[in-house]
Amino acid sequence: MIYDKNYYLDIFKITENNLKTIAAEGLSKGGDYSDLFFENTFYTQLMLKDGNVTSGGFNVDYGVGIRVLKGEKTGYAYSEKTDIKSMTEAARTAASIAGNSGNPSSPINVDKLLRDARDTATFVKAGNNGDRMIRKFFPGEPNPAADRYPFAEDWKKTETSVLIPFLDKLQNRLASCDDRIIKIIAMLSGQTSDYLMYNSFREMKYDTKPMGSISVSVIFSKNGKTESKSFSRSFRMGTEMLTDTLIDELASKAVEGIDDMFAAKRPKGGKMPVVMSAGASGILLHEAMGHAFEADFIRKGQSIFNGRMGQKICDGKINIVDDGTIKGNRGSLNFDDEGVPGQKTYMVSNGILTSYLHDRISAKFFGVSPTGNGRRESFRYNPVPRMRATYMENGDADKTDIISSVKKGIYVCDFSNGQVKIGEGDFTFYVKRSYLIENGKLTRPLKDINIIGNGPQALADIIAVGNDLKIDDSTWTCGKEQNVPVSCGIPTVLVKSLTVGGE
Amino acid sequence: MIKQTENMNITGITDENERRLAAECLDFAIREGADKARITLDKSLLNKFATLNGTLDRVSQCLDRTLTFCLFVNGRYGVSSTNRLDENELKDFISKAISEIKMLAPDPCRDLPSKERTEKNARTGKELGLFDEVFGTMTAGKRVKAALEASGYAHRKEEEKNRKDIPSILISEEGEYSDSVSDTYIIDSDGLECRHMETSFEYGVEITLQGPQGDKSGGFWWTASPWLKDFDASGCFEEALGRASAKLNPQFINGGKMNMVVGTEVASKMVTPILNALNGFSIQQENSFLKDSLDKKIFSERMNIEDMGRTAGTAGAKLFDSEGVATVNAPIIKNGMVKKYAVNTYIANKTGLKPTIESFTRIKVLPFAENGSRELTQKDIISLCSEGILVTGFNGGNYNPATGDFSYGIEGFGFKGGKITCPVSGMVITGNFITLWNNLIACGSDSRICSSDRIPTLAFSDVDFSS
Repeated sequence: MIYDKNYYLDIFKITENNLKTIAAEGLSKGGDYSDLFFENTFYTQLMLKDGNVTSGGFNVDYGVGIRVLKGEKTGYAYSEKTDIKSMTEAARTAASIAGNSGNPSSPINVDKLLRDARDTATFVKAGNNGDRMIRKFFPGEPNPAADRYPFAEDWKKTETSVLIPFLDKLQNRLASCDDRIIKIIAMLSGQTSDYLMYNSFREMKYDTKPMGSISVSVIFSKNGKTESKSFSRSFRMGTEMLTDTLIDELASKAVEGIDDMFAAKRPKGGKMPVVMSAGASGILLHEAMGHAFEADFIRKGQSIFNGRMGQKICDGKINIVDDGTIKGNRGSLNFDDEGVPGQKTYMVSNGILTSYLHDRISAKFFGVSPTGNGRRESFRYNPVPRMRATYMENGDADKTDIISSVKKGIYVCDFSNGQVKIGEGDFTFYVKRSYLIENGKLTRPLKDINIIGNGPQALADIIAVGNDLKIDDSTWTCGKEQNVPVSCGIPTVLVKSLTVGGE
Repeated sequence: MIKQTENMNITGITDENERRLAAECLDFAIREGADKARITLDKSLLNKFATLNGTLDRVSQCLDRTLTFCLFVNGRYGVSSTNRLDENELKDFISKAISEIKMLAPDPCRDLPSKERTEKNARTGKELGLFDEVFGTMTAGKRVKAALEASGYAHRKEEEKNRKDIPSILISEEGEYSDSVSDTYIIDSDGLECRHMETSFEYGVEITLQGPQGDKSGGFWWTASPWLKDFDASGCFEEALGRASAKLNPQFINGGKMNMVVGTEVASKMVTPILNALNGFSIQQENSFLKDSLDKKIFSERMNIEDMGRTAGTAGAKLFDSEGVATVNAPIIKNGMVKKYAVNTYIANKTGLKPTIESFTRIKVLPFAENGSRELTQKDIISLCSEGILVTGFNGGNYNPATGDFSYGIEGFGFKGGKITCPVSGMVITGNFITLWNNLIACGSDSRICSSDRIPTLAFSDVDFSS
């Protein structure tokens, strides 16, 4: 949602002149860029347990983060108050990264400092782009018509009594869908966050981000054996997301594959073809490839994809994007947390590595435009390059044909707990639910296996891409230094060889 | 020179006004209709000075204050929190919280802990000796110095230039010096008043190396202390570098049943699932592989784990939990027998289990070896096991909390004849935690003093490795 500018100025009890003064204060010790990130978050949570909604509450988080850059160096401080004194103190702390101690009591020339900051921003240092002069500004006010998450019902204004019936209905529906269910826990959370960003280029951006999430954990018991399932849905929406359709979807997820989970066994491990199902398998893209495309790792020379820009890294039919533009998606952004417009970034086009994911620091370093990936958990953190919704675009193969083409392999349905080593590119993913493929058919359910591989190798080993792209709307949260909401997706794909860790 | 807000008055410590505000909020909540209430005031100050390749890269200062309200209203319960500590705003906040709680379903099991169980001696917050007054004398200059002095980047680069026998290149060194002070103050409507203060001085460094074939590997090491006088970051760079270097050119070796030695830096991965399974919430939700295990011998007699939350002068110690209940130094597992669940007031009322503590505070795994030795280094344990895999890192994987079955990716080193032979990767271990701990060979005496949990090198037999 994008409200009128004054809505945000009022919330944070500031004026545009205040913003200029504080941004200039950040530059007072020689910094080349400063920005202010105001946040006012309301978060509400209700828990359904043992058949009733017996606990809940809400949280208010308010403050401003002030960042000063000197080259690629960062000074950061924040204040939980937005009065001039507190913000000035924070700005001076952040400004100290520039090293020039200055005289804190002497008056600053606001206009000159901001003008100089804008002028010096046109120059990108030698060695990165041959001294070419570039300007990368994002002028203009936010456009409400282009809002990617308009919402009808604000979580902040919705009473608990309106939310409880949804959880009660969910409880009844889940309890009645399978008599093996012995425990149900559901957590409903909603968040409305107002943001105002201002920087030393005098750019002001603002918006209000909603986020609703429902996470469910169900325990099944049969003949003394226990199995559990966890699933979730999350959208940048208001409370209008709480529909009967969502309850139906959650109930369907609860029982999906549960018979097979009771019957599943660990397979023999080894190297074999792996078919990734459409949707949540996209987490593999996020972990094993996406992180290695984040430009802070590239800038520091740590990524396995260092030096591979412009090279063919996988089959020519493969396109991988990081997209902040999907309406209502958990990873979508009108603006990133540096005030750069959200956008769709092709990291791999027709098999060629075409872009890393940039924040302002790495973009300046590499002499390119920021890609709208500068994100942070809250005003307490400085932004770093992060993904949004990361997915592979459709290919031309049919899912059935892909499975039929495998003589012996694994079809993977549900992943969890993936981990990747950025430098080495090695990844391991725990597979909660999967099936053995024998002679082109799914023959028996498997459980508790790991898929092990190397990111660039696995990407190069994708030999078929389905035409059934699915974006997974689960509550994905990326935890690189800070937690940010993301999403992922993929069509059905066939990787010709991965290590499957079984018995 | 970096100039930060100096901390002579240690702003991370709650002041009298803030504590009085908490008390006024408690009174207001009761006047507004809460039957009982508990209020927690948390305040902390964290300073971070990060370096990249030996130069200062990022400076940040974080000062946080939060008031958390646990409110019991008409047999109902809710928790809300805010960082907006304006008196008038807080009144509206509390009124809204109370009116929202009235809409929840009643839950008669929610209650404050009985007075007999609550902590009576945490008055100043300094009782455990974890607060270093020196924190107030720290300046930005001292912090910069600590961050830069710990860096080994320049020295290593000089070596790379002058020596031809160094096979790997240092790609990056990311270091971070940080210090913090935290202050927790809890009061409730039954007269509870507890306070805990703790300082911490920390340094961590992450190294990325490139080997002769262009392959990269990473290494991390860290140190910490509640007191500046005991804080020593020297050696962290060398340790991280050594770890990264040792991992270059990993081999793929055949799987099978083998001895597994788990290094102290990652051994918590083998202990945490046990503690989670002993938590009352997991047991009440029938999502624990250790339900109905109290006072039963479940594990190897060699397994002894204690909760040592009240040990003064040790990082992580605390006299009370989040309900204000006094911690107790006591065995959790003694000679393989489960002696204690972590059961808070709510779960106790819900299940009839004896209330103990919200969660275990500071874990200590006691040393053991079949030869009777109580002084065991990792080297001793590798020697004792003779052949197997030393695990120094986990990469992905998970476990089933209801069954205890696990599967984890691992990295580490193969060893034979008590000697490390090669780095290994691309391996997975599978098994069940009850079986694993019944195959315990040894627990070392080498837990790191800077860790709040004291978990040493562990060794298990007959672990399934696949590759």
